[in-house]
Amino acid sequence: MDQRAMLEPNIRTVLVCCGTGCLANGSMDVFRALQKQLETEGGEFQVRTYTKATGCNGWCEKGPLVKIVPDDITYCNVKASDVPAIVDKTLKKGEVVKKLLYRDPKTKKYFKSHREISFYTKQLKVALRNIGEIDPANIQDYIARDGYQALAKVLKSMSPEQVIDEVQRSGLRGRGGAGFPTGLKWKACASQAAEPRYVVCNGDEGDPGAFMDRSIMEGDPHSVIEGMIIGAYAVGAAAGFIYVRDEYDLAVVNLGRAIEDARRSGYLGDNILGSGFSFDIEIVRGGGAFVCGEETALLASIEGNVGEPRDKYVYPTEKGLWGQPTVINNVESWANVPVIINRGADEWARVGTATSKGTKVFSLVGKVYNTGLVEVPMGTTLREIIFDIGGGIPNGRQFKAVQTGGPSGGCIPASLIDLPVDFDSLTSVGSMMGSGGMIVMDDRTCMVEVARYYLNFLAGESCGKCVPCREGIRRMLEILTRICNAQGHPEDLEILSSLGETLQVASLCGLGKTAPNPVLSTLRYFRDEYVAHIVEKRCPAGVCRSMTEFYIDASLCTGCGLCKKNCPADAISGEIKEVHVIDQDRCIKCGECINNCKFQAVKVR
Amino acid sequence: MRVKIDGIELEVQPGEILLNAARRAGINIPTLCYHEAFGGQGHCRMCLVEVRKGAEVKLVASCTYPINEEVEVKTRTPVVEKIRQNIVMLLCKEAPASEIMQKMYVEYGCEANLLEPNEGERCILCRLCVKACEKMGASAISAVFRGTSKRIGTPYDEASADCIGCAACAQVCPTGAIEVRETSDTRTIWHRDFELVRCKECGRVVGTKQQLDYLRSKLNGITPDYELCDTCRRHRAAKRLKDYVRV
Amino acid sequence: MAILLWDWGDEANMGEETREGIRGDVQPIIDKYPAEKRYILPIMQDIQKRFNYLPKEALEIAAAYVGAPVSLVYSMATFYKAFSLVPRGRVHFRMCDGTACHIKSSQVILDEIHKCIGIRPGETTPDGQFSLETVNCLGACALAPVLVANQKVHPKVTPAAMREIIKQYGGLADGPTSDA
Repeated sequence: MDQRAMLEPNIRTVLVCCGTGCLANGSMDVFRALQKQLETEGGEFQVRTYTKATGCNGWCEKGPLVKIVPDDITYCNVKASDVPAIVDKTLKKGEVVKKLLYRDPKTKKYFKSHREISFYTKQLKVALRNIGEIDPANIQDYIARDGYQALAKVLKSMSPEQVIDEVQRSGLRGRGGAGFPTGLKWKACASQAAEPRYVVCNGDEGDPGAFMDRSIMEGDPHSVIEGMIIGAYAVGAAAGFIYVRDEYDLAVVNLGRAIEDARRSGYLGDNILGSGFSFDIEIVRGGGAFVCGEETALLASIEGNVGEPRDKYVYPTEKGLWGQPTVINNVESWANVPVIINRGADEWARVGTATSKGTKVFSLVGKVYNTGLVEVPMGTTLREIIFDIGGGIPNGRQFKAVQTGGPSGGCIPASLIDLPVDFDSLTSVGSMMGSGGMIVMDDRTCMVEVARYYLNFLAGESCGKCVPCREGIRRMLEILTRICNAQGHPEDLEILSSLGETLQVASLCGLGKTAPNPVLSTLRYFRDEYVAHIVEKRCPAGVCRSMTEFYIDASLCTGCGLCKKNCPADAISGEIKEVHVIDQDRCIKCGECINNCKFQAVKVR
Repeated sequence: MRVKIDGIELEVQPGEILLNAARRAGINIPTLCYHEAFGGQGHCRMCLVEVRKGAEVKLVASCTYPINEEVEVKTRTPVVEKIRQNIVMLLCKEAPASEIMQKMYVEYGCEANLLEPNEGERCILCRLCVKACEKMGASAISAVFRGTSKRIGTPYDEASADCIGCAACAQVCPTGAIEVRETSDTRTIWHRDFELVRCKECGRVVGTKQQLDYLRSKLNGITPDYELCDTCRRHRAAKRLKDYVRV
Repeated sequence: MAILLWDWGDEANMGEETREGIRGDVQPIIDKYPAEKRYILPIMQDIQKRFNYLPKEALEIAAAYVGAPVSLVYSMATFYKAFSLVPRGRVHFRMCDGTACHIKSSQVILDEIHKCIGIRPGETTPDGQFSLETVNCLGACALAPVLVANQKVHPKVTPAAMREIIKQYGGLADGPTSDA
């Protein structure tokens, strides 16, 4: 029924985004209101209408998002109270409700379809191909969009070696961070004599500021499952595990349902599609530990242990889960596999750079106009992502840096804005791809404080097993905290560098090895900010509270009162249309005034 | 298979742990979390060495690295020395009350800095105690919490029903971090009091009652003479043998 | 589509439990899983969900069931963030302090919570109504800063909105519930 709704032009389908972001903005109320109204007055329609809840469209900033196909209309920030207008005008008469359309903040132009909006035009959806278009709870929706065709092709006409060869030829590299060639990994596992073998999906997405994998697991769970079945066939695995991050309730629910549906349809279980190949998948819920994104820690966690990594001198492909050969790939890598098989390696690899093929999903967040999920060909420049897709920096502030790769990555300065984004370019400037977090920072972001934030995060998330990571992070954090509290010493920078270098080479696992990146990259590109904190006892961005004083420039203040309204400490006084003043004794230095001032009248001393 | 460690060539079995091969060749690699009885843990990273194969150079923890190809190893390079110095510095700040760490701090030429020492602490979290407890079969202690809050303890920091008071943990501890208090008839360790059993002949401590009960339970039926210490038991065995020979 | 996700609410039972009561409640949980070590994590998760924390007796029962030392299970209980060793409040606030939320001033919200109900992350109000913890990222970065109250997600929280949320859950009627 549902896939017909998508294909037949005389049936209108209302797609309500029900990703975590839109749910939080109240999309379930919109969904229920739509269903209720359509139930009560269903008879009056000239066209048949279906309402379905979809996964995350990525444009969470503008949620709840409602799309109507085949009219190709996208409504933003929809509230339940907008439902009567949508039903009466759009569903009954095919007219557009103008006030719900996206309006470009600069050109003031309205856009009917999301496809015309700059946020989407530069994107190329491969891993996210189905998200926002299908109901993740309905396997038929997935099947209608070429779902499980790759699996059928593999089982019917390809040998395991041919599958590995195809994946290897595509040049797919692991989307979880390090970028290890997926085909090579599969080959290494398949060449082992030991049985049983396992495939694992790493869905323990832990980078703060990243939610690509959540979106795929929630919005298109079958793409991950199909990828895993194909991988299992290639390496000869009989069982698979999806390790899902503890916080991702909806992903667990949707994946669980998808696995059951796949079993019922004969894609999982014994003798899949009559091929004689048997394979099944189990979901393991993470316990809440960032380090479990590291593959050996993840395996320890599945086995029922504390999630501590081990030295990887013997790879999991040789000795993984319960000592057996195991392939671990990230969610996005698995979701790419069916496309590689369906379209062929060459077609899939048509986009990208020489060493980084295909597309990559980024979660674009922070001080940028359009926040959300963005999928672009590898090699797209930071400028295109941040300014063309992201719409630039809001509130007229200056772009200062972009942080990629989460706590393992680094801060890339504005001067490198034309850097193409691929595995090798990011590494060459001291950052890394990581799983795809991209956090935009403006001149109100203190780079020393950012480095301190990441180390503080890692101090709690390090497993605490090896000395360099546990004690090195503790000490680097101690130094950075001191610097942010106006108690830095000139020799601190040298110790930071020395400890950072030790962590990079001596730590046991990837967490510790990459932990100093945020510090070392900010030291490299923003050393003057460290010096300002240490020598002048001044925080140029006005973030470190003990060194910051805000004041209002009387020549710029228009007396609009926005700062006063937003001040949580009632520290600002002034009459409307008169110059406002900050009471330094009451000010808690939260920066709400400077963030809200439209006239750049609040300054940092 | 042949490898070269610090210029010395030697024959190794595939899979042999690098640290063992080096020690066999008489090369000393410093370690803090390694014990022959338990094998490598890879925690302290003091045993990091440089492994070279062709143009590829990497640093590995020699206590967990299995030699599977013909490589050249250097156990002391400027990079390795700097790492060891930093690790010693970090551990001495973590456990400044440990005499071993104080000594190493000087040995490794660590310079004074502004980092705050963790006053009074002796534990360097090498976890040899946890390994020893596991080997004894009790598994009463473990590494708890995580990250910079990690420490060794019993569940809930309370007396553990699994603890047999054997004090193997304290014996294996390189820094004297585990407190054991003994009176004439009681041993107190890990928040719990144990009744001491003394040698019938010489009066030395044989173990705790719980420990001996535990050993008996493991030995189904065989009951060695636990009321004597090792020395007195040997004496008695020798005497028996002598009597036997004489007859 | 799992539309009821955010309505799970307070199914967990609060308050003092007797030892027998705990055994009675834990038994059906462990019965769902084979007695193998690898199931210890899901068993602990179910216990956490049932009691809103991990009672000591429940951990001991679970450890014995899968044949693992209590020390290992305690290690896991203190290692994984999903677990709490003390009962959480009837209303459990999870404030996101992921990068996006952090640079959008999640600290200001934490300060506001402290001002209103006197608790810092990791603490519970003396009346057991509210508890607070920070989480590293809820994956809703586009809505930063984000606060989750029990299962409900509150996007783009401001200090003023925070006061409203606290009121909504029965706090702030006559000032702070604690003078801490």
